[in-house]
Amino acid sequence: MTPSGRSFSMKKNTFYLIIGCIALTLLFIFWYSVELHTALLIEIAFIVGIALVYLAKTKVTDIINDERDVKITEQATIRTMQVFWVVFCAFSIGAVMEILHVPEIPREPPSIRPPVLLPPRMMGYIQLALLCLMIFLYVGFRIYYAKKFGDFETDEE
Amino acid sequence: MHDLTQEHLAQAIGVNRQTILAIEKEKYIPSLDLAFKISRYFGVNIEEVFISDEKTPTITDT
Repeated sequence: MTPSGRSFSMKKNTFYLIIGCIALTLLFIFWYSVELHTALLIEIAFIVGIALVYLAKTKVTDIINDERDVKITEQATIRTMQVFWVVFCAFSIGAVMEILHVPEIPREPPSIRPPVLLPPRMMGYIQLALLCLMIFLYVGFRIYYAKKFGDFETDEE
Repeated sequence: MHDLTQEHLAQAIGVNRQTILAIEKEKYIPSLDLAFKISRYFGVNIEEVFISDEKTPTITDT
């Protein structure tokens, strides 16, 4: 509460408008960051943007996050992480084998060549693919659990 | 029996209308806390609102 006794609050439509503005700003900063060849700019902007979204969400008065919503989010998150860590570990094991230069089959004679590392650009693409996978998995699981816990039920009357 | 809407009940106990609908349709089993809130709202005991068939507790018509 402010000293005057009134706290800042907003309706959910205002909140969605703020999210849209933040997304557009981030898109612009991303483009600017690419132009400047500076990743730090978009990284900081992304963290600040997400912090602003969380801050704004606490000020919304007409969004009720009840126990069923929490359960849907919880289940979707758990399932996403279960799939994601397996995929991530599988990729990481492959990367570790590259670093350690595990001999291939058929076994080659002892080699003195240095381990072959994935180029940074390739790592970027793989990270992007993993990020997209996580987003799609989360959205998919969220729809599944929302349906399971009655989100798309309608009144018969 | 009651001149009550799902929206009104949801507002009174602090949940979404869809949660009330999901409980009615037996798609969602409420927590003990929420079950007590609902029964207190109707001024009855919890077992008068919810029954347990050993597998899944379901809501009864009030």
